[in-house]
Amino acid sequence: MHAWQGPPCPQILTDTANSVAKTHIKSRTQLPQTDNQGFFGIRLESIGGLGAHVAGQILAQAGVLRMGLNGANFSSYGSEKKGSPVKAYVRFCAAEQEVRTSSPVDRPHLVAVFHEGLVRTEPVLWGLLPEGAIIVNSLRSPSQVWDGLGRPAAKVGAVNALAIAVEESSRVNTVMLGAVARASGFIKPEAVKEVIQATLGERYPQLLASNLRAFDRGFQELALEDFSHAAAAVPQNYARHAPPFGYLDAPLGGAVMNPGNTALKDLSVSRNGFLPAFHRERCVDCALCDLVCPDFCFVWAVERKGDGVEAIRLKGIDYQFCKGCLKCIDACPTLALSTEREEEGYAERHSVPLFPHLQGFSQNGERHHH
Amino acid sequence: MLITERHARQSALPQLTDFKSGNEMAALAANHINFHVMGYYPITPSTEIAEYLDEMFAQGEHQIRMIAADGEHGGAGICYGASTGGGRVFNATSANGFLYALEQFPVQSGTRYPMVMDLVTRSVSGPLDIRGDHSDLYFSLNTGWIVLLARDPQAVYDMNVVAVRLGEHPNVRLPVIVAYDGFFTSHQKRRVSYFPDRQPVQGFLGPFQAQRSTLDPRNPITVGPYMNDPDLINNKYQQKLAMDAALRVLPQVFEQYATLSGRSYPVVDAYRIEDAEAVLVLLNSAAETAKDVADELRKQGKKVGVLSPNVLRPFPADAIREALKHVGAVLIAERADSYGGQGNALTHEVKSALKDDPDNKTLCLSRIYGLGGKDFLYEDAEALFRLALAAASSGKVHIPFDYHGVTPGNSRNGALSPVLPPFTREEMRPGLVSVEKDAASGKVQVRTPPLWKLAVRSRVFAPGHGACPGCGIFPALDQLFKGMEGDIVVLYQTGCAMVVTTGYPFSAHRVTYIHNLFQNGSATLSGLVEMFLERKARGELPEGEDITFVMITGDGGMDIGMGPTIGAALRNHNMVIVEYDNQGYMNTGSQLSYSTPLGHMTSTSHVGQAQGGKTFHHKDTLQIMAACHIPYVFSSVEGYADDLVKKGAKAQWYAKNQGLAFGKVLISCPLNWRAPDESGTDVVQAAVDCNFFPLYEVEEGVTTITYDPATVGRKIPVTQWLGAMGKTRHLTLPEYREPLERFAAEVERRWRRLKAMHDHPDL
Ligand SMILES: Cc1ncc(C[n+]2csc(CCOP(=O)(O)OP(=O)(O)O)c2C)c(N)n1
Ligand code: SF4
Ligand code: SF4
Ligand code: SF4
Repeated sequence: MHAWQGPPCPQILTDTANSVAKTHIKSRTQLPQTDNQGFFGIRLESIGGLGAHVAGQILAQAGVLRMGLNGANFSSYGSEKKGSPVKAYVRFCAAEQEVRTSSPVDRPHLVAVFHEGLVRTEPVLWGLLPEGAIIVNSLRSPSQVWDGLGRPAAKVGAVNALAIAVEESSRVNTVMLGAVARASGFIKPEAVKEVIQATLGERYPQLLASNLRAFDRGFQELALEDFSHAAAAVPQNYARHAPPFGYLDAPLGGAVMNPGNTALKDLSVSRNGFLPAFHRERCVDCALCDLVCPDFCFVWAVERKGDGVEAIRLKGIDYQFCKGCLKCIDACPTLALSTEREEEGYAERHSVPLFPHLQGFSQNGERHHH
Repeated sequence: MLITERHARQSALPQLTDFKSGNEMAALAANHINFHVMGYYPITPSTEIAEYLDEMFAQGEHQIRMIAADGEHGGAGICYGASTGGGRVFNATSANGFLYALEQFPVQSGTRYPMVMDLVTRSVSGPLDIRGDHSDLYFSLNTGWIVLLARDPQAVYDMNVVAVRLGEHPNVRLPVIVAYDGFFTSHQKRRVSYFPDRQPVQGFLGPFQAQRSTLDPRNPITVGPYMNDPDLINNKYQQKLAMDAALRVLPQVFEQYATLSGRSYPVVDAYRIEDAEAVLVLLNSAAETAKDVADELRKQGKKVGVLSPNVLRPFPADAIREALKHVGAVLIAERADSYGGQGNALTHEVKSALKDDPDNKTLCLSRIYGLGGKDFLYEDAEALFRLALAAASSGKVHIPFDYHGVTPGNSRNGALSPVLPPFTREEMRPGLVSVEKDAASGKVQVRTPPLWKLAVRSRVFAPGHGACPGCGIFPALDQLFKGMEGDIVVLYQTGCAMVVTTGYPFSAHRVTYIHNLFQNGSATLSGLVEMFLERKARGELPEGEDITFVMITGDGGMDIGMGPTIGAALRNHNMVIVEYDNQGYMNTGSQLSYSTPLGHMTSTSHVGQAQGGKTFHHKDTLQIMAACHIPYVFSSVEGYADDLVKKGAKAQWYAKNQGLAFGKVLISCPLNWRAPDESGTDVVQAAVDCNFFPLYEVEEGVTTITYDPATVGRKIPVTQWLGAMGKTRHLTLPEYREPLERFAAEVERRWRRLKAMHDHPDL
């Protein structure tokens, strides 16, 4: 009985872009660490639309087709829309090893967070191995990011991917690719750049130079610090999550008995750098913003004027639900809404709650514990 | 060889090493086979196959005629018809799509027309779950099709080629399913090998040898006569003989394919079982995971192995019996239950295979795992191995059948209690909008307050849905419901609006909501309406209970669900049906619907040198519905809120007083229209202002255009609208002048026709 090792016939390596075959020289790469099954695992934490899925593909292709490794790659898949959390996974192992498992990478060596907001809403650190590294798209320093993450015993990296992407007319995912290559310690930048070239070069040659620059800057500008042995570091424990409902307590037939409970959700990670700012003094309470808002974020008060006539007054925006589409700004006839670059803490400070009684509850209807 | 593991051997032909997913490999195999016709309908996770093939088609890389069906049932019909014509035919589907077409499959096999269908396995609804299990696969077992299994992306390519050769074998002549795991295999990229071009595959398969073609007028035949007893049993015995033959032919085909490709597949894949005391029997990807765990356990001295068939129909009972001959205990783990059956088909078929050996002493356990795509992790495989080992060493089976991996639940008080209180009757009836039939003119008249007043009325939606930023669905539906007064029960057909509002355990609907799959919502709601009326008539509901029933569907739902919708319209139930039209199947990733206009780019109408977007004109759903002579038909858009609120109010009035009201509302999908998030309102307004999407209503047969852009000086050319979206920008380029003119002429023709109807009460 033989293990499957691919056909012992002449080998030609290809790029998948347009399925055009090209030959490449292949050299063996040594993985710095592996888990019990021989894998080095990477998890990309992102939101739909930032390109983590493609980034995962590019990384994996670079490893498997250009670095003499074997591997696998896939993304989490629900019915993700733009703006919802997604994860992409990459596994690498030695070329001779066969990849048989198809489950998610739940004990990664390296986690890359494409949107810093996810640190608050997703368990980004989950399962990170003790010697592992987590890198975050952030304008802050590694130690600030480390604080924000709850001081895990891990290597922590920060790279201002959004700023670099804007400066280089590229995308966040290309910058993050550079940072991931660097943090991994073994992914060869040349191999990744060749795949970027093969992927973009054929279809969008005009974008190639800027993307390669963005990749290089991600590689170089990642600031990485090792907090694995820091005095204040908190060791990470690993446990599987059980769903909130099971066969003993889930209502029969899958019914939701408290509909409307999406009001507990926090959608702010869907915003991508911009939000509408509200200027009360210019508002004429025409409610045109409310008519076009897909996410029902506007908060109103009903007031009775002196003459007894009812009127409504716009109190503000509940940023918990605002996805930053900016439709309301177009709709506003008076410039009472304006587009602003979202700064840390702005939304929290200016949010007007739609449902004050729900403040401080988590998605599962529990009170937040801090 | 019958029982071994897949292994590599020498092949004469060069191959490419690449990194591809199961769906990519399926598309590549189809390209290399170059089927004559593919009939398909999108459904996750198999949709990508048609998308990749359409993309290749647009680049001129193959000649497969890609037919986007009106539903899977139609898709199977297209395939059936094509397959009688003497060529190669391909389909790909999953889950409820497979079930929706199910009755066609015995027709295909019973009349003996080979074809290939990839079943990318997924959990069958309800509740709707898009991830991978085998609940659809088990429905294939009685269809009369051969069922091959592909455990990883490499096998997907290989099995598709093998399927053609096997099904077309003169002693077989049967259709073949190639089943592989949704997501685990379909969406996972792995290192793979394949031929650099289609020649080796073409040479291996040779030309299609039609036994009896329906395209040969000189040799007429009658396909599918009416056949009762005593003949049908003999037709079925022929199918049985064909399956017997397939079991003999399959190892030969595997052998021939191994010579060509260097990849040798056994009928039953057996891993480390020669001396095994405990064996897991698993299908597809989970079997691969278990192999890694078997290696680990072997290192600890445990004698374990994994057995997984590469073919389910015909069932390789002899090979399985042989493989398990000396095994102490076998645990058959299945990714689908046959509820009440104490194990699904695989359990019972393995057991009965063993029973035929009077000397066999193997103990059998059966476990259900991984339903709804729940991951099968190393620790799961290990737990199952330990169960089997315990049985083998104790000689006893304590629990013959059970589930593995269920959770009892730990819901805290909060998780079930209302987050937002239900609306009172008064809140649902604020009295802001009123509708009356004017006695003098006979016209239904709507009075609405200034729109700002409606901002504070109770909303049927809670915030917090998961639609993309800038999605047009919700402002449009909110405006529609703002026109309605009183209690509402909604039914949503499958689509974006449904998926983004009801991700378990959440729901954004503050009024009672039901989902049914998008082929059958209209019938479902008809039933509920009649129950309401009957229970009311019997005095079983509180005094004054008054509910408006509203169905919400996408435009895709009006393709696959058109039949039941016309049925509901002809029966004229008291309900409202509103289609939000985003010009495609957006929930599954932007495939063309029949409402997608000519030339528009979608993931199944790519733009390339051999194809310029969608090839036929958009469906005129409103005129189809108007032809059912229902009391009220309307169109509207989000961007003209006054219009939409009023029409919502009218629709409710007609539904309560006269029967079925149908509306089509154009909404923007910034993601798939490739337009900026904030542009939705403007883009749909432009669609109206260029006369592509006229705002009108048909009340009791009388057509009224409710907004004519020309009369208010807002008429624009279609290019102004098309230029605003990435999916249509190519149409504004010189090389697309011909389709653009054809499209513009069709828009004008439909507008003139509508004008004539507006001008003449009898039209
Ligand atoms: C029988 C069946 N076939 C296919 C599917 C897959 N499917 C789910 S939603 C959808 C698209 C719906 O399109 P549309 O009605 O236009 O709504 P949208 O997604 O655009 O909101 C498809 C193809 C299914 N769920 N059931
Ligand atoms: S940007 Fe404006 S319209 Fe968009 S979600 Fe936020 S508040 Fe609503
Ligand atoms: S559209 Fe502008 S002016 Fe009108 S209510 Fe909204 S913020 Fe105020
Ligand atoms: S894909 Fe389009 S229709 Fe669906 S939620 Fe996103 S924007 Fe809305």
